[in-house]
This record gives sequence, structure tokens and C-alpha cells, in this order.
Amino acid sequence: MTFRNPPAPPKVPELNLGEAFVTTRLDAVVNWARRNSLWPYPFGTACCAIEFMGVVSSQFDISRFGAELVRFSPRQADLMIIAGTITYKMAPVLRRTYEQMCEPKWVIAAGACATSGGFYDCYCTVPGMDEVIPVDIYIAGCPPRPEAYLEAILQLQTKIGNEAIRETQVIGREAVNA
Amino acid sequence: MSATHDSTIPSTPLAAGVPADALLARLAERFQAVRDPLDRWDLTVLVAREQMRDCLRFLRDEPDLRFDMLLDVSGVDYLAFPGHRGARFAVQYPLKSTAFRHRIRVKVMVDENDCTVPSVHDLWKIADWSERETWDQYGIVFAGHPNLKRLLNHHEFSGHPLRKDYPCQKRQKLSVNDPMDDQLEARLVARGYTVVERGDRDLGTGAITHSAAVTPGATP
Repeated sequence: MTFRNPPAPPKVPELNLGEAFVTTRLDAVVNWARRNSLWPYPFGTACCAIEFMGVVSSQFDISRFGAELVRFSPRQADLMIIAGTITYKMAPVLRRTYEQMCEPKWVIAAGACATSGGFYDCYCTVPGMDEVIPVDIYIAGCPPRPEAYLEAILQLQTKIGNEAIRETQVIGREAVNA
Repeated sequence: MSATHDSTIPSTPLAAGVPADALLARLAERFQAVRDPLDRWDLTVLVAREQMRDCLRFLRDEPDLRFDMLLDVSGVDYLAFPGHRGARFAVQYPLKSTAFRHRIRVKVMVDENDCTVPSVHDLWKIADWSERETWDQYGIVFAGHPNLKRLLNHHEFSGHPLRKDYPCQKRQKLSVNDPMDDQLEARLVARGYTVVERGDRDLGTGAITHSAAVTPGATP
């Protein structure tokens, strides 16, 4: 009978551990955790917020993408979903709410009003949320279909997946006012 | 007046039918009211500003009229209105009787150079906010109003956006939140609460951005 010698132990000690460990980049792990556990804060002021209720409910089920834990305090959320018309009277409230969210944080502007002011081309409506706070994803529609919300979540997840945590910028009052 | 126009006010049997012409005659006799020719569908009477409060009080209190509900206080800007001459603004008071279910609209013309109308907040409580809105949007001053400040637009807004000469796309930003603590506090204090502390302040401006903390006092 012949016996084959066991393979020589590799020179790299980690490789002795078999599949007990996975090595990867820190960015990949952190981004994986962040993008799959988004906690949305719905800033709902109009009909887009009604549509968002459908997104959260069982028919469309945002929890398939890990973003079902809707919080109604900005301090517990990292994704602000602006769903509705924002007036200039409301804008400081929106900005303050955004500032109360902890880093890292992302913003989805949902629907025509939040992205551009929509058909309210008038003296009182903010023509797009990016006048007030930085926006990551814009959703078209008046209001958007729930599928569009889900697509926005997926796009945001892709975007978060490409982020580098060392480059994450703190966006404070100065940047917002600029 | 077209043939399709029915000059009687819609009324229930309770009202025993007060015809519009009879009502108009009474208002003409007491307050020199005239029918507004611009209103071709309903009954609108034009009243001079000096008679306006008495006229509204008469309509509210008269037993067979009882226009007890003020539906709105709205402004009109007749700038560049075709064929219009005379005062630029108007204030309208649509009234309804909850008992008889008939309606009337009282209209007062207001000149641009003397843009003032007496307030009726003491006749109808709802006039408080309606008059604030009309002042906010048209710049018509309601003399005697207890708290004539903007209702819809923010406190840094200048001008009156529903005036026809306001450029309607001219946007005005608001830098500091517009708290309504003054009214909230007044209402809470009236209900027996005591103001303990006024909440946190905006770091940049020092303006109060949160409601005041209150403790319940004696039960009112």
C-alpha cells in the first residue's frame, strides 16, 4: 500500500484556518452591513408619502431589501426619504431634521416635488430638495410607483457599496449653507 | 340678468323663504347696499366700508336671516381686470345660515391707498385666521385685529404674493424656523399651564426653535 503524504502546511499562517475565516476589505464589510440595513426616516408631506406606505406594506415589501425598519425619529435613521412638496416655510425644519441624523446618512428625493418642485412653479415651493440638503437618489413620478421606490433603494445600495469609509465626508451646517 | 337666474335664495321650509329681492331691499334701505353686477350666479351685495360691520352683524343676528356662519374672508385684486374702474381691492365675506341654509356674499371695495377694513374677529371667531391670511396674501389691513401677522407665508417674506403685481415665481428663502410658540404658549397658559423653560435655541441665530416646556397647573 502506498500512502500519500499530507500536503505541506502553507507558509502563510492564515491559510491553516481553512474556511473558518474570510479575508476581505474593510470597506466591503462595512458597506455590506450599511446597505442592507437601511433605516428610513420618511419625511412625508404629500401624496408620495401615501405611495411609500404601499412600499413598506406586504404587497411590495421593502423589507426584502433590508430597509423596512421605518423610524420616525431622525436620530434613529440613516436614510431620509423626502416624499412630498416642501415649501420655503418648511425648509429650515427639513434642514434641521437632516442635521439631527447621525452619519453616515443618505437622502432619497421621491417624486416630482422633492426633485424639482414639480408643477408648483410659484413663490412658496422649494424647486428641488438639493437647494436645502444634499440628495443621493432622485425618483421621478407624480407620485412614483412603489417599484420606483424599490429601484431607488437598489441604486442607493449600489452607491453605498462603492463608498470608501475613509472618504465619508461630514456634511455640516457650513456645507449645507454654501 | 339671464332668464335662467333664479333670484330666490335656496331655503328650507324653516326659513319660510326670504326672497333675494326682499333681502336686497332691506339691505339697500339700511346700509345702502347694492347688488354686485359681477356676480351673475349668486347674491352678492356691495357695502361701503363704514357700513360693513353693521351690515354683517345685522345679517348674523336678524331672526329671519341668521347668517351665523362665516365661510371665508377672501381678498380680490382687480388690477388689470377687464373693464374695472375704481378701488383696486375687494374683501368678500361669504355667509351661510346653518339654520336656513341660505347664503349671501358681502363685498367691500378697498382702495389701494387706504388699504384698511375693520376686523370682524369679534363677530366670528374664524375671522381671526381668515383675516390674517388675507392680510398675508393681499396686504389688506384689518383694523382692530388682535394679532395681524402672516399665516401662510413665513416671517421673512416681504410683499404679498397674491397681488397681481407680485412676480409669482419670485421665491423668498427662509433662514430661521418660524415657530408659532407665541400662540401655543398663550393657549397653554390660558388652560392653566405654566411656562417653565423655553426650549433649545438655534446655534446660529439664537432664535427659539422648540416649543416651551410647560407643566400643568390648576385644572381650569
